[in-house]
Amino acid sequence: MPTTPGRGRAAAAAAAGTAAALVLSSCAVLSTSVREDDTPASVSTTVPDGPVTLRLAFTDDPPTQALVDGFTEQHPNVEVELQQTQFTDYIKTVKLSMSSEDPPDLAQYNPGAMESLVPAGLILDLDQHAEAYGWGETFPSSPLESLRTDPDAAEYGSGSLYAAPGALSILGVFYNKSLLEEAGVDGPPQTLDEFDRSLEQVHASGTTPLGNGSLEVGGFQLWNALLNVLGDEDDYRDWVYGAPGASIETPAADEATDTLTRWAEAGYLPEGTNATTDIDAQADFAAGESAFLVTGNWAAAELAEEMGDDVGFFLMPGPTGEEPPVASGSSVAYAVSSQSENADTAAAFLDYLGSPEAARIQLENGFMPVNPEAPTEGDGVMGEVNAGFGGVVEEESLLPFPDFATPGMVDQLTPGIQGLVSGTTSEEEFLRTLQEEWDEHHE
Amino acid sequence: MNEGATTARGAEPREPRRKKRGALNQGGRGAWLYLLPAVVVYVGFLIYPAVSTLQFSFLDWDGIAPPAWAGIDNFVLALTDPLLARAIGNGLLLIVFFTVIPIAVGLLMTALLVGRVRHGTTFFRVVFFLPQVLPLVAVGTTWRWVYSEDGMVNQFLELIGLGHLTRAWLGDEQFALVALGLIGTWVMSGLCMMLFMSGAQKVDASLHEAAAIDGAGPVRQFLSVTLPGLRKEISIAGVITTIAALASFDLVFVTTNGGPAGATNVPALLVYRLAFNEGDIGAASALAVVLTVLVVVLVGAIRYLAREDS
Repeated sequence: MPTTPGRGRAAAAAAAGTAAALVLSSCAVLSTSVREDDTPASVSTTVPDGPVTLRLAFTDDPPTQALVDGFTEQHPNVEVELQQTQFTDYIKTVKLSMSSEDPPDLAQYNPGAMESLVPAGLILDLDQHAEAYGWGETFPSSPLESLRTDPDAAEYGSGSLYAAPGALSILGVFYNKSLLEEAGVDGPPQTLDEFDRSLEQVHASGTTPLGNGSLEVGGFQLWNALLNVLGDEDDYRDWVYGAPGASIETPAADEATDTLTRWAEAGYLPEGTNATTDIDAQADFAAGESAFLVTGNWAAAELAEEMGDDVGFFLMPGPTGEEPPVASGSSVAYAVSSQSENADTAAAFLDYLGSPEAARIQLENGFMPVNPEAPTEGDGVMGEVNAGFGGVVEEESLLPFPDFATPGMVDQLTPGIQGLVSGTTSEEEFLRTLQEEWDEHHE
Repeated sequence: MNEGATTARGAEPREPRRKKRGALNQGGRGAWLYLLPAVVVYVGFLIYPAVSTLQFSFLDWDGIAPPAWAGIDNFVLALTDPLLARAIGNGLLLIVFFTVIPIAVGLLMTALLVGRVRHGTTFFRVVFFLPQVLPLVAVGTTWRWVYSEDGMVNQFLELIGLGHLTRAWLGDEQFALVALGLIGTWVMSGLCMMLFMSGAQKVDASLHEAAAIDGAGPVRQFLSVTLPGLRKEISIAGVITTIAALASFDLVFVTTNGGPAGATNVPALLVYRLAFNEGDIGAASALAVVLTVLVVVLVGAIRYLAREDS
């Protein structure tokens, strides 16, 4: 920029002035925000007859599009405008759009975003709608409780309802039938010790026993599955939901962590697990490179397609095999904006999610159905996933994933497991880091 | 003789430029009108966000709720983060792979190509520059496969009988950062070569001739004629690549995401996590400010070292 020094100064001053003005104006915008009222003035369970347009921000598809189509088929006067954002950008996008002047009526629930949106009063408290519709009966209780929180979003699992589930998922173990047969293992294990022995047998037969991708979430999901069956359900729930004084430094978590490192040391996990993504681990398993894979029902349809009858599914077995079934899972859930003028119509959509028609759509799209009455039998591996899920829901033992605990927990879990697997992090250190993150968040 | 020639070349363009500046001064206020679009864009998209970041770094803010004044708390938090020291150390080590090696490779390629290879120069240029054109996310994904347990690197090692060395390179705590750095070398070498080639072509051919008459061989000519002529280009390459190393994010994000166990954490990754995973805009901004200061200091040092003696 060729200018004289004098003009340069003038330009700099002008630029600084403009910048200062912009900063001041942005300050003004920031400081005016106050907590909005998040309880509805009135509640109705009928959808208006005239044309209604709902806007829905979401990231997961399937199932969103199919569920919306099912709903608008029942209510032709309702039009739903969809705003999809890919997952990596979803948290910040939904935070910005839900706190804007003109927020969407509905948004896919995300704990990281709700952490800020609920305390700002921007998410509708659904308790009155839940009562009017009788959602306590429609929706299974364990997925619903993870969508409850206090007004500060500090402790989950109780308090007001801020979303309703539109599709569920569950974590379990897939296995390759012919590889098990080759290794001389007869059928899926009934106890954790049996599982341990199966891994040993498969290892002895020269096959990688446990497919795993610790680059992303696969590593801590394996740990999660072990913790579910070794630990006390309520202790774990308290910790994830942020109950005061909860801790992950428990003997059960120690045992789960020890088991994981023992398996890693024994060579049960693939050598390159720390550099493997979840989708690559799934592809390796489908190609017969590992005998077991801990992942969720979301993999079932693809695995069934690639492996046919050769793939099976079981829930991680407990120490005695007599325990009631327990597993982690989550929901694709939707929340309503407290600023929405069509809150009742939005709530009607949430109610639809628990209907038998929606259950059919959820199953077709590879999810577990929300409606507990929905028939969940099916063929092959899908049938086994459905049966496992049915048992867990009946016991009300669908537990949240551990990364739900704090927004930064995933950044402790993933590297922590990587350190355990490669032998550079001790079990105590791993659990201590998780607890430190928890304490820092809940202090 | 060489030294005199270089100084002359370095000083030569300066004089006329100064004269031109004087001529423009008479343009008056009208000139500002022409600059306005650029100034608006520059202020709106660079100055304003930078000043906002500085402002946010003093706030306790989750991005939505009303912010509160935090003083220097965010800086204390950012600077005492146990992960930060290692992340900065990793960033500094990446400079070796993003800056030092690519500049050496670029100089070597320039020495080999300029003035000798008449046919195929364009081909080499395209091939070496290609990594610059590709989005780093695609580059990272591809290299993740190259480095994987049964990827190309390991296949090659098996082929030449070094099978005992194979490993999942990005999953190994000792090698992950080096493996990541070498991707940077691959990306940056082409950029350096391009800069140096264009710089070397500006060097007056008569200088090479004169040096040749004085009995200088190719190596001597490169060291005494070409290299001094590339001072500015080396400085620019150093600045661009150092910034790329310290502010590297996309490559790390898609290949290792800081893993295994934090072995490849870089400062920008920590900024991202604080801002977008944890929703702590204040601490993220403070860390970003710290990173900016670090970059400015290092870039300043490079510019100072590569300055022309006046």
